Amino acid sequence: MAKVEFRHVVKRFGDVEVIPDLNLTIEDGEFVALLGPSGCGKSTSLFILAGIYLPSGGELLFDGRVVNEVEAKDRNVGIVFQSYALYPHMTVRDNVLFPLRFKRMPREEALARVAAAGNLVQVTELLDRRPGELSGGQQQRVALARALVKEPQLLLLDEPLSNLDATLRLTMRTEIKSLQKKLGVTTVLVTHDQIEATTMADRIICLRAGRIEQIGQPDDLYRRPQSLFIAGFIGSPPINMISGEARDGVMCVGSVVFPFEGAPGAVTVGLRPEHLRFTGSGLSGRIAQLEPMGREILYVVDTVAGYLRVLEHGSIAAHAVGEPVRIGFSPDDSLVFDTACQTLVAAARVGPPA
Amino acid sequence: MSAVTDLAVERRYRAASAVRRRTNFVLFLGPAIALTFLFFVIPVLIDIAVSFTDLDRTLRISKFTTEQYQKVFRGDSRLPQVIGLTVVYVFGTLAIFNVTFGLVLALTTTSLNKVSGGFFRGVWLLPRMSPSVLYILLWLWVINPSDVGLLNQFLMPALGLARPLDLMTSAPVALIIIANGFIGASLGMIIFTAAIRGIPEHLFYAAEVDGAGTLAKIRFITLPALRWPISFVTIYQTLSLLVSFEYILLLTKGGPFYDTTVFALYVYRRAFTSGQYGYGAALALFLIVIGAAAALLGWRFFDFKRLLQHPRIEVH
Amino acid sequence: MAAPLTFNGIHSSPTAPVDWDRIAARARSMRRSKAVALYAFLIAVSLPIILPYFWLVTIAFSARTGVADTVVLWRSVAVLAPAVIAFWLAAVLARNRRQLWLGLTAIALAATAAFAWLVGPDLHLRNFIFLVEPDFASVVRSRVGAVHGAIQFPSVWRAFGNSLLIAGSQTIVVLTVASLAAYYLSRFQFPARAAMLRSLLILHAFPVLTLIVPMFLMLYWIGLLDTLFGVICVLVAFELPFAIFIMKGFFDAVPWDIEMSALTDGASRRQAFLLVVLPQVRNGLLAVAVFTFIRGWEEYIFVFTFLIRNTNWTMSLYMYYVRDDVMGVDYGVVSAVGVFYLVPSLILYVAAQRYLMQMSIGGVKG
Repeated sequence: MAKVEFRHVVKRFGDVEVIPDLNLTIEDGEFVALLGPSGCGKSTSLFILAGIYLPSGGELLFDGRVVNEVEAKDRNVGIVFQSYALYPHMTVRDNVLFPLRFKRMPREEALARVAAAGNLVQVTELLDRRPGELSGGQQQRVALARALVKEPQLLLLDEPLSNLDATLRLTMRTEIKSLQKKLGVTTVLVTHDQIEATTMADRIICLRAGRIEQIGQPDDLYRRPQSLFIAGFIGSPPINMISGEARDGVMCVGSVVFPFEGAPGAVTVGLRPEHLRFTGSGLSGRIAQLEPMGREILYVVDTVAGYLRVLEHGSIAAHAVGEPVRIGFSPDDSLVFDTACQTLVAAARVGPPA
Repeated sequence: MSAVTDLAVERRYRAASAVRRRTNFVLFLGPAIALTFLFFVIPVLIDIAVSFTDLDRTLRISKFTTEQYQKVFRGDSRLPQVIGLTVVYVFGTLAIFNVTFGLVLALTTTSLNKVSGGFFRGVWLLPRMSPSVLYILLWLWVINPSDVGLLNQFLMPALGLARPLDLMTSAPVALIIIANGFIGASLGMIIFTAAIRGIPEHLFYAAEVDGAGTLAKIRFITLPALRWPISFVTIYQTLSLLVSFEYILLLTKGGPFYDTTVFALYVYRRAFTSGQYGYGAALALFLIVIGAAAALLGWRFFDFKRLLQHPRIEVH
Repeated sequence: MAAPLTFNGIHSSPTAPVDWDRIAARARSMRRSKAVALYAFLIAVSLPIILPYFWLVTIAFSARTGVADTVVLWRSVAVLAPAVIAFWLAAVLARNRRQLWLGLTAIALAATAAFAWLVGPDLHLRNFIFLVEPDFASVVRSRVGAVHGAIQFPSVWRAFGNSLLIAGSQTIVVLTVASLAAYYLSRFQFPARAAMLRSLLILHAFPVLTLIVPMFLMLYWIGLLDTLFGVICVLVAFELPFAIFIMKGFFDAVPWDIEMSALTDGASRRQAFLLVVLPQVRNGLLAVAVFTFIRGWEEYIFVFTFLIRNTNWTMSLYMYYVRDDVMGVDYGVVSAVGVFYLVPSLILYVAAQRYLMQMSIGGVKG
């Protein structure tokens, strides 16, 4: 089956090893997101795919054949940069026409393709303007058109939404996703924003310091994060972490005792704010702060186990600052991690204290 | 405090401030203004005045006349040749070396890694960094018309010549163009390199991915970004080549005969070698006018508003 | 309606397979030939510059009979060229730092040994005798016989001293006057400010060489011809507009709050200038100082035209007459003087290299 494959790919810049050993397969037609904090090597991996960087070691394969030494211009890849990188001295039309210059096709056909690409991303009215006259969102669409006009076999997006304002980000998210579905082109998105990744991609590859932390569908990463890092990275507002000592069916955090199912040892429990509820029984605490967020309210509760965030639906606060409350949750929603190696202990569960 | 004493205090303060303002002006700007006036304005006036006299080797003025200008426009048979040579020299050096070769050097050295590129740029800066006398001394050795000259050491076996070449007599104009060209290329090289370094890297990446090879990248990304530096170098160096003759004077002294005497050198020779100070002044006036005009033209390149930045402290 | 774009994905359809191996191979060979071509070109055009300077140095240390002997030159090149190539190969092939240092040291040792064996015996310092012997011309005569020309040479140290005096005084005066003027233009408001800035712009670009004829006459009429003082005045005045322009740029960059706080602390504006603002533009002062000194050190045309007596000679004139007088007779001495003249220039340029870049581009639009 045709695909893109990283086989033990290494990338070094001087003495710094950004990517130690990357192994990854991307299937044809997939929309994949490379997610991770800055410096984790995601943009580097993208540039290796594009042919801008050459791997220091290992192999990159297109279609089962090694393409390490194939230059960017021969790879038929389209890329949208974070800064859009539009040629400032050319009109939009010339920008989108640029890749077709090197394909040696008759001018009418090239212009027709430019028009088609322009239609796809809705920049037809802007064809005669210059990049300097366009807004951020318009520039991004032109960059997309330029990437798509050459009918690339691979579409690469480097943090495409990070320079846009919130509303534009939402619209472009939907547009890019539907575009990809319509055209069926294999797409790799690089981002540090987990919402972008989870809303747009079919599969998310979470990277950290050049290594893959976890690969899975957005749902998997959310419900079954394999490591503390993933649990903390995915999900907004971020997950609550409680560290404690587990033995004999209980986990002790200071003076509080939680019912515990699983092997003894030092554990860290992750509890998502949306899974916590204010109930009659459970962990006791006092409301320290509340942040109204429109359709939800985020409470910060001061407990013996530390500050916990609780997310409640509704726009009207049911509790006030300083009020004593009790927090409960379902054991099925708990994520237990081994504190030492930071990995998920799948069989373990924790329940709210009595 | 009554209103009257307040007024008196204020008046005294303002008087003191005015005195301070005047002394500050004299103290800070005085020397500069004096020197500028004495050595820029007065010489121009002297030049204009002398051009209307018959000042010559005797360094005595006997009459005021316009005969120098008559000589310029009609009487000097050498002048057309000099002007023609100047045109060839300026455009030749500019086109071949200062702009084109400077560009080539900038493009090639920036394609290498930093150390190697820096090394070659350093080598090409060596002529500019050396004192002019020394640079020309090396040239004289290189073109020495015997078999110890460096050039002859290469060319005689290479071209199988029986007698050593003497570039000074056989190709003097080419000689001055190349000698000045090495110096000129380095300025273009520096300016263009700085401009190339200022181009955002991602534009090159985008072009690479779009299918552009090396030449296409130069044509579509590098050169458009160099439009301003190229015109700056062209105008600035045209003026520089028009008025400077130091290297030519040292290398060929303007010879053989007047074959390499460009206009600026011609002025010098007429004034100092032949002692015709009045005529020299008249000729020099043309250069002065061109120089002033070019300086005014160069104004376009400067961000005058930034220069004019208004001071934010008003007291003295 | 425009033809729709089709997206085939990355599978190679049987009708249009993509031969990645061939493309990769072609790319590899293209990359290599490009690198080779670049280096070959740059080395070829740089060689005409490297060789003469190298020749200057070798002859200064090796010429015996006064002839421009190239044997030593070629022998040195025969040692150095392979050494440089070996250095470069080592840098390219070394896989880690330790290998690199081992390789470089080995090559350096081998090159030094070869150099000492081949060229060493020819090296001597006798050409530098002019540094200690005041009657230069007689020294030369005693070595090579009759010497053409009847020019009497002063001691080279006198010429050196003159150059130092001219360059040094010029630097100090220019620094002082330019700093004062630039500060005032930058930080004070006064009626003719815009007009003065405009004329500064014109003056700093004006070619001063065009004024050499009236300048000569003016110095003659004032009585300053053939004096170092006259030359210094002229050089100072001609260097001034450019220096003011550069210094103003540096003064403009100093934040206003420093000065404002100095004033509120009780300083007068002059005190603020001396104590607070001037230290901030140290870089600018250094840049202008080095640049001005170099110009004074290398100045030829004006000193040639305005100085006549040989006690007033500067290094540049000394070099010129040495070349004229002993040219073709004692290359060794000429090149030794040349090296002596060149080294300070190069040292200063390298030291000022950072500032020069800023200066030549500063203020230019676009």
